[in-house]
Amino acid sequence: MNLGFVIGVIGVLILSHAGYSTIQYRGLLKITEEEFTGPPLNVVLELIVGLALSMWAALTFPGKFLSIHPDSDENRAVSLPDNSDFMIFNHRGRLFPPEITMKF
Amino acid sequence: MVTKAEETELNQLENQVENGGGGVWEYLCLVRKLKVRRSELVLKHGLSILNDPGKRSSLGPDEWTLYEQVAIAAMDCQSLGAAQNCIKVLQKKFPESKRVGKLEALLLEAKGMWEEAEKAYSILLEDNPLDQVIHKRKVAMAKAQGKPSSAIEHLNKYLEVFMADHDAWRELAEIYVSLQMYKQAAFCYEELILSQPTLPLYHLAYAEVLYTIGGQENLIAARKYYASTIDLTGGKSTRALFGICLCGSAIAQLSKGRNKEDKDMAAPELQSLAATALEKEYKQKAPAKLNLLSSALRSLKL
Repeated sequence: MNLGFVIGVIGVLILSHAGYSTIQYRGLLKITEEEFTGPPLNVVLELIVGLALSMWAALTFPGKFLSIHPDSDENRAVSLPDNSDFMIFNHRGRLFPPEITMKF
Repeated sequence: MVTKAEETELNQLENQVENGGGGVWEYLCLVRKLKVRRSELVLKHGLSILNDPGKRSSLGPDEWTLYEQVAIAAMDCQSLGAAQNCIKVLQKKFPESKRVGKLEALLLEAKGMWEEAEKAYSILLEDNPLDQVIHKRKVAMAKAQGKPSSAIEHLNKYLEVFMADHDAWRELAEIYVSLQMYKQAAFCYEELILSQPTLPLYHLAYAEVLYTIGGQENLIAARKYYASTIDLTGGKSTRALFGICLCGSAIAQLSKGRNKEDKDMAAPELQSLAATALEKEYKQKAPAKLNLLSSALRSLKL
């Protein structure tokens, strides 16, 4: 398991822990009958840390990104497919059949 | 459309296969996917797999696709015996199959027996009158017999029904160009550009046809399409750069002695930019020919 995967797992765990803390906090507020204005500060910090770790893991774990430019060196159209639906066998190559062996 | 990455992969596999390394099955699959025409190699290496019963059975159900691919490659190389054997094997396995029927008719075509092939295709068309492949084979037969006008007629009728078939439009454009009917070829290329506007090869072909027809508006339109090709290829199409320079000089020649508006169409900045880009590319790729290029460009500017 490489580093990116481990960091990704840790990031997801931190995020889920932050979510669980927020749910507990809301439960506490229901008991004391106050309004929910926002999660407490430590939960916000946890969220930011979890976000940073997950984003870093998501960008490094999948490996090399493919290019999306149509004119980049891998994606550019070099040639169109030879129209094999209209292929004719009447060309000059028919005078030079290759030597082949067939066993079926 | 074959991309550069796919082409390098194909060449690499081809070298590997030719020099005795493995990877024959991947090569054959790639050739089938990219629809390139490498009949001799496909025949040679396909037969090497099919001759060996161990390798043949390890392919599983793909064996029959390989028989079909090798049969067509054999017909292209005029090894009709090999093609006949492959088709016999396929017939034994799939007795009443239309796909095998098409292959048999294709074999009749390869042997040059046009009337029998025509009859076979008509019989196949009775069962399925909307079969695209058979209609296209009729066009190919007309082309092979040297009757381009009949091929054009068939192809036009086909395109009235199946308007979205790019290959057919391309084929029609090429037949028109071979008969020097450039206006109709330009129409076909327009249809292709409408259906696939991001493919620079169509823009380039259209610009070349317009340049060939000539005349003031056509040259201006040709220059626009050369420019769009350069846009789509990120400036890497040498042919389009040359096209712009030539269009510019042709327009300048035509508008000699005309009034001011036509002279404005000369767009000298575009021409000088294209010339600079060309010189930069030549300096990078073929520095020995740079002097030749510079003198040619200078003579164009007159």
